[in-house]
Amino acid sequence: MIGPKPTGRRFAVVLLLLVILHFTVRPLYPERFLVLAPDFLLLALLLYAIRARPGSAAVAGFFVGLLSDSLRPLAFGSGMLAHTFVGFLAAWGKAVFFAENLSVTLAFLFAGSVGRDVLVLLWGGHLRGATLGWQVFLWTPLNALVTAIAGAIVLILFQRWIPTRLAS
Amino acid sequence: MVERFASRRDTFAVVVCLALSLGARAAPDGLQEGIASSVRGSVLAPFLALQQQAELFRTSRTRYVAVTSERDSLALSAMLVAALREENDRLRDILSLSRRVGTAHVAADVLHQSGPLGGLVLLISAGRAQGVRPLAPVLAPLGLLGIVRSVDEHHSVVIAWTHPDFRASAMTPDGAVFGIVEPAARGDRATPLLRLSGVPYQQEVATGTLLLTAGFGGVYPRGIPLGRVLGVATEQAGWERTYYVQPAVQPAQASHVIVLLGAAVNLDTVFGAGQ
Repeated sequence: MIGPKPTGRRFAVVLLLLVILHFTVRPLYPERFLVLAPDFLLLALLLYAIRARPGSAAVAGFFVGLLSDSLRPLAFGSGMLAHTFVGFLAAWGKAVFFAENLSVTLAFLFAGSVGRDVLVLLWGGHLRGATLGWQVFLWTPLNALVTAIAGAIVLILFQRWIPTRLAS
Repeated sequence: MVERFASRRDTFAVVVCLALSLGARAAPDGLQEGIASSVRGSVLAPFLALQQQAELFRTSRTRYVAVTSERDSLALSAMLVAALREENDRLRDILSLSRRVGTAHVAADVLHQSGPLGGLVLLISAGRAQGVRPLAPVLAPLGLLGIVRSVDEHHSVVIAWTHPDFRASAMTPDGAVFGIVEPAARGDRATPLLRLSGVPYQQEVATGTLLLTAGFGGVYPRGIPLGRVLGVATEQAGWERTYYVQPAVQPAQASHVIVLLGAAVNLDTVFGAGQ
């Protein structure tokens, strides 16, 4: 599928929609399934990084990290570091690999989400031992998978508004 | 097509962002909390209000039946309160005791956030304007959830019991065994546990025993449920035993909390402990 060239304004609307979804959809999840709630803020960052220059994506990542750290002020600064890295690497990686395939984009979103979590955990240093193991090998991949699937749905729904061309 | 590989300007931007991030990580706690509080009170304020409305919507939609049932049970119990209060006042007068200290509290919603550290600290929808202060105990309907770390005008940050720094003095309902409860991890479980330490070797705690806050230290009132003993974790022969404890509350699943505002009081009767 090749979509028409999107405008920046439409793309901004999609990003704003993702931010709003982050604060409205997650609370609707039952408590025990909260870990499976997609991270729409990270999704917005990764979708932005697909089209942005690495420097702009890093700055965007820094601000997303600032929001994230302010919402959960534990290991303040680790979210900024992690999101800056993920934003920069995502933009740089898209430039290098230039994948416009849906499955590759899914893998890209999954890797971005896992990478963010691992960096936050490493820099935060609050989880250790078995708790860290369960987080890294179970909860983080599960959440990343859900986030990637949510990203795929957003890409399919808004393919005309988002600057990626999804090859079927 | 625009050149999208990292240029010198991109490298400069990422280096500045990383330096700022490292600076934020190394900043004093007060400065970190000040920045976070400012962001929550400005940029994030409308989004947090939105999240609170969404939380209220879900609560009203999915919890109506449960809350109605709980209210009916409480209404039945409350019918006995007037008589008990009168009897209590009469006995206190006979013994020349002062009036019982009341338990002021405020209810709040938990605004869950994303990320791998989400279960260690929680944001709740009550703050300075509602009378919340730092170090106020935070309770979920089934027991202790944590303690308030910092307070904004309309929100507070709560350290849950899963946080590595959490400690609470604990006791069995009969007051026979005392110890310290702290977070623990057991390899075969995906959800975190508590650990009871400092129990003398000769005092054995049976599996399933309820643990309550002991009230030492003046932070947590006496009598709040912490959890139930799962079994022995470690033994130091002739010295002490530690026990795994199944927590009464899982922070990741808490949606509605009560923040205690008053002085530390005895909450044994509130939770019906020891019955």
